[in-house]
Amino acid sequence: MRGLRVVFVGLLALGLVAVAQVEITFWSAPNPSQEVFWRQMAEAYMATNPGVKITVSPIPETPTSEAGILAAIAGGVAPTASENIFVGFGSELVKSEAIVPWNAFPEWEELVKARNISSAIKAWEFPDGNYYIIPMYVNAMLVAWRIDILRELGYERPPRTYSEVLALGEHLKAKYPDKFLWLRSELEVPTWWQRWFDFFVFYYAASKGQPLITGNSITADDKAAVEVLRFFKTLRDKKLLITEPLAQGFEVGKTVMTVLGPWSFPWWKENYPELVYGKTFVLSPPPVPDWYPPTEPIYTFADAKGVVLYAQATPEQRKAMWDFIHWVLSDSEHDLAWVKITGMLPARDDVGTNPLFTAYIEEKEPALLPYAESIAFAVPPIAHVQFVEIQERMGLECIYPVLTGDLTPEEGWEAWKAGIKDLLK
Amino acid sequence: MKRHKELGGWLLASPYLLSAIVFFLIPLGWSLSLVFFDWNVISPVRTYVGLDNFREGLSSPRVYNAFINTYKFLAIIVPSALVFSLCLALIVQHLPRLKQFYAVGFFLPYLASGVAIGLVVRGLLSYDSPLNEFLRQVLGSSPRWLRDPVWATLVISFMIVWKLSGYYSLIFLAGLQGIPRELYEAAALDGAGPFTQFRKITLPLLYPAFYTVLVLAVGICFAIFTEPYVLTGGGPRFATHTWQLEIYYQAFERFRAGYGATVAVLNAVATFVSILLIRRAVESWGAKRGFR
Repeated sequence: MRGLRVVFVGLLALGLVAVAQVEITFWSAPNPSQEVFWRQMAEAYMATNPGVKITVSPIPETPTSEAGILAAIAGGVAPTASENIFVGFGSELVKSEAIVPWNAFPEWEELVKARNISSAIKAWEFPDGNYYIIPMYVNAMLVAWRIDILRELGYERPPRTYSEVLALGEHLKAKYPDKFLWLRSELEVPTWWQRWFDFFVFYYAASKGQPLITGNSITADDKAAVEVLRFFKTLRDKKLLITEPLAQGFEVGKTVMTVLGPWSFPWWKENYPELVYGKTFVLSPPPVPDWYPPTEPIYTFADAKGVVLYAQATPEQRKAMWDFIHWVLSDSEHDLAWVKITGMLPARDDVGTNPLFTAYIEEKEPALLPYAESIAFAVPPIAHVQFVEIQERMGLECIYPVLTGDLTPEEGWEAWKAGIKDLLK
Repeated sequence: MKRHKELGGWLLASPYLLSAIVFFLIPLGWSLSLVFFDWNVISPVRTYVGLDNFREGLSSPRVYNAFINTYKFLAIIVPSALVFSLCLALIVQHLPRLKQFYAVGFFLPYLASGVAIGLVVRGLLSYDSPLNEFLRQVLGSSPRWLRDPVWATLVISFMIVWKLSGYYSLIFLAGLQGIPRELYEAAALDGAGPFTQFRKITLPLLYPAFYTVLVLAVGICFAIFTEPYVLTGGGPRFATHTWQLEIYYQAFERFRAGYGATVAVLNAVATFVSILLIRRAVESWGAKRGFR
């Protein structure tokens, strides 16, 4: 009888704990290393906060992570929060009232200070003055060069301007006729997000980071955009740019330049250990037009994504998630763990100056240092809700016809601008 | 007793009926309800747009390209698939042994993942593939397989024909095996050679199989997705853009569920009308020749 009473009391206590526990779900990016980071954070947090149960799982890619999130929201099974959201998709979620602002929590300013994102966060402000996305990482896109091959051609550093790049191409073709300067097969494919890794990179470099779209207006630097298109066309005409699929290009030395994000390094370490920073490859900002002032910093595109809080969550769940996110992002040791696990740089103002990060980067991942230094000059994606069509049309109506010679760079650029006018209304 | 039998029949048919309701009828009804709205599936606001989605779809160059490309694919894929699958069936039928083994072997591409096949083809046609290296050595240049509109269309068509031929050859094989041998023996006694036998006996008696394969192949041409998605993204310049790519793009990339559903309805109408017209044409052609 007494035994039964003990079991009953025990079960009751367990039941009370279960009732008191807030269950929240967090969807990490469908990238194993990011999932590992969030699982570790969740386990550490739950160890000291037994009242919260956090379930971490990757965003279902059905067929894309964006579509997976939409399907979950439509089906009423959205997580409490998820990462991997960039400002364009975030705009769509805000328009649909599917996410709620983080800055509604009273400790918001405290978090901004604790994470040292006072400058970085400005680019994430939405037109209504709210912050719906907390930036998690910023990958400034840089250009990698096969310095081992460049040295064979008599170069000690990568070229900076378009003319210097073309001159390098001529030397390369003279010595190695089968090699190409740049492999970019996606340049002829209209897929919208591919523009992040070609045109946007070169455009922001040439335009000193001038936004393409501001609000509902085209605010692009026409001269810079046309110059970029002309550069692409010249590269192709001189057979320095290959736009056909190639099994491997840069990694095996068939090409000498590539636009690169830091996520490639773990894969290289595993598959191409011969690629060593400073020895076989170096990094530089994107090449710029010849008229670009030599003393000015060079801008680039930033592949930047962050965390959002879904409106479907209950107020209790939102508060619990906020507390968790606040805990994760207020401790710079957690951001260091992020760098160690994912190989990507956290979106912090001090990532290039804080000794906690620089010491680790210099010792373990020196190739990340140029990325850290470029964050201040990295422009995040277009925030307009029509980002897909805007970028798809850039490939279809501008880049492809310019490359094939159907349109001049000027005509191609004007065609894109004319094509998206209706979308911006 | 009769009632019990009826109940048993309903019970046996229920898995199919249930799946048809859940995966076909409900989505169909939902899609039809979406076509009059501008909605991204998650927004609390559904904007009623009347027939605007249809107006946009019917005047869209993207939809127009998908429409035209489907007939381009159809013109290449249907005759090629018919000829290849019939040839395969004839080869397998005349094999002295291991007929089933070869028939199943030819069927395997139909079961293989389209994405995996796409990646293999992409590798085979990459600039530095052995094929292209060989062509450059012999001819001085290699085609831009996936970047030239004509080549890209041909490559995708070839992939689909290769994938379908094994499956369709099984249908032809079943038809061939149903033709009584006595007919060939009688024809041989009357002095008919192999070609005459094929023309006068095999082809007419294969008409039902031919008809089935034709309708299936036409239907497939309106549902092409994986091959252009993996290889060309619908390019270059919409040369390989298809109905399914357009539906995917509008619904899953631009989040325009209402308009995506409208394109799906237009696709369904185009498919239905095309199959109906082709069926009528083939039936009337067959009737004139006394085929059944």
